[in-house]
Amino acid sequence: MPTALADTLESVELADGVQIHLRVAGPAARSVAWLIDVLIFVAVIFIVSLAINLLSDLLIGEQVGQGLLLLAMFLLNWFYNVFFEMSGKAATPGQRHMGLKVVSVSGGPVRLPQSMIRNILRVVDFMPGAYLFGLTCCLCTSRFQRLGDLVADTVVVYVDKPQHEKAAMKVNADPLPPPLPLNREEQAAMLQFLERSPRWSDARKMELSDVLEPLTKRRGMGGLLDTVRMALWLQAGGGGRGR
Amino acid sequence: MTPKQFENDHSPTWQRLEGMIEQVEKGKPVPNVDELPTLFRQICHDLSLAQHRMFGRVLVERLNALAISGFRVLERRSSGGWERLWQMMMQDFPRAVRAESRLFWFCSVVFWLPFLAFVIITPFDPQWTMSMLGTEGMMSMEGMYGEGTNPREFMREEYGSDFGMFAFYIWNNVSINLRTFAGGLLGGVGSLVILLFNGAHIGAATAYVNHACNPQTFYCFVVGHGAPELLGIVISGTAGMRLGLSLVKPGSYDRKTALVLGGRKAMTLITGAALMTAFAAILEGFWSATPMEPWIKYTFGACMWAATICYLVFCGRERHEA
Repeated sequence: MPTALADTLESVELADGVQIHLRVAGPAARSVAWLIDVLIFVAVIFIVSLAINLLSDLLIGEQVGQGLLLLAMFLLNWFYNVFFEMSGKAATPGQRHMGLKVVSVSGGPVRLPQSMIRNILRVVDFMPGAYLFGLTCCLCTSRFQRLGDLVADTVVVYVDKPQHEKAAMKVNADPLPPPLPLNREEQAAMLQFLERSPRWSDARKMELSDVLEPLTKRRGMGGLLDTVRMALWLQAGGGGRGR
Repeated sequence: MTPKQFENDHSPTWQRLEGMIEQVEKGKPVPNVDELPTLFRQICHDLSLAQHRMFGRVLVERLNALAISGFRVLERRSSGGWERLWQMMMQDFPRAVRAESRLFWFCSVVFWLPFLAFVIITPFDPQWTMSMLGTEGMMSMEGMYGEGTNPREFMREEYGSDFGMFAFYIWNNVSINLRTFAGGLLGGVGSLVILLFNGAHIGAATAYVNHACNPQTFYCFVVGHGAPELLGIVISGTAGMRLGLSLVKPGSYDRKTALVLGGRKAMTLITGAALMTAFAAILEGFWSATPMEPWIKYTFGACMWAATICYLVFCGRERHEA
């Protein structure tokens, strides 16, 4: 098992040598998106059958109408998701509502064969009922992939950037640049420490900042102060000393 | 250099790329679009720099989002449309079937063994067949192929018209194909169970018609579309087994990579199989039920079997492959 992470960002290295970070969506948001899609699905079936009923009375005859309905059921059942995933937004209406979309693990857009595989294999994810296999698989993989995603090499990610809360408490300390470059996870951990620390006791804060002894070279109150100063430096956007 | 300076110096470039991406995604013709790769590489460079110098979340996230959408635009490919589909059906699919010939024969055995078992055993002991079909199954078989009836009248009663029948076969048969394929993800077990069951069911139906109905009507009906339909389901099973085997026996890859690679191969197989079955549904809906002299039906059926087998064996063959 990977160690616990500070966030759900998935880092991908592009061919251009740069790392991008995809924010992977978990089962909760995806379930809501799925529910919305089911509602739309039922509504579409209802409207199509109404329209066919009307048409068959007027134009095409009942028998042809019956056939059209079966064809519509077939297409919707297997290709509803494929159709929307191949559109510009790469998301079904439900996913779009939740701010999600489907992309390749490489960070590139999802392609037609991938989309078809992940949606045909939905049958297996649904087994033995209520997406139990899919959910189990989501929770066991680091990128929240269901079985269909694993085979198609896709992930469901958030479209827009997360909103960051500013620290509620003002801390009076001078920003201090860290002695060495911190990677993104480490920066995130520092910033979250700054945001949450007002709710903890001093003993707890120091217990945590002592972990950073290799960075601050100090323990106890001094180490805590340096940690807070570095976090402030990061929060201000690094580089300069405050803005 | 402070982050502010960095932002001021470079944001014109970022804004140009942002604007360009927006235009390209709308599908409009964009002036100077050939600069896009250069701009994208510049953004990648800026992002790396900002990450390394820890220029704060806001800036890094903006560049990250820009790099992602730039990558998406650059990586966008059209799926190739009808031309690609044609190439797939005329080359890739028959080649893929030949490449998996061992799996194909294995699936054929799994499908045809229960079929033959039912056909052979029924003249001696019809109980098995009857319990397999059930009362309703037997009644509909008699309705279709009994003395003095024919499939067309029966199916017309059920599904209204030739078009209705065609739609029913698409909905039913192609869905079975796709499910057979999906079942393969359970280590191949799902595909095998569906193949076995369908072989047994079709075998029981054939045996029951031989036993209690008018075989002539039955064979006239099924001979035309049998080849693409039955081979279609066997190839769906092959696709499922390909997927299942990559999971069970990943070979020199790790399981996940093996699944992705196996999935790609299986996708060609299942697409072809589904199209074959859809073709069979057209025949079944519009040709098989039309009343005609038996010899015409049999000749057509023989041609279809020969054509389907030739298609799978010879189509898209390269010289060195022989």
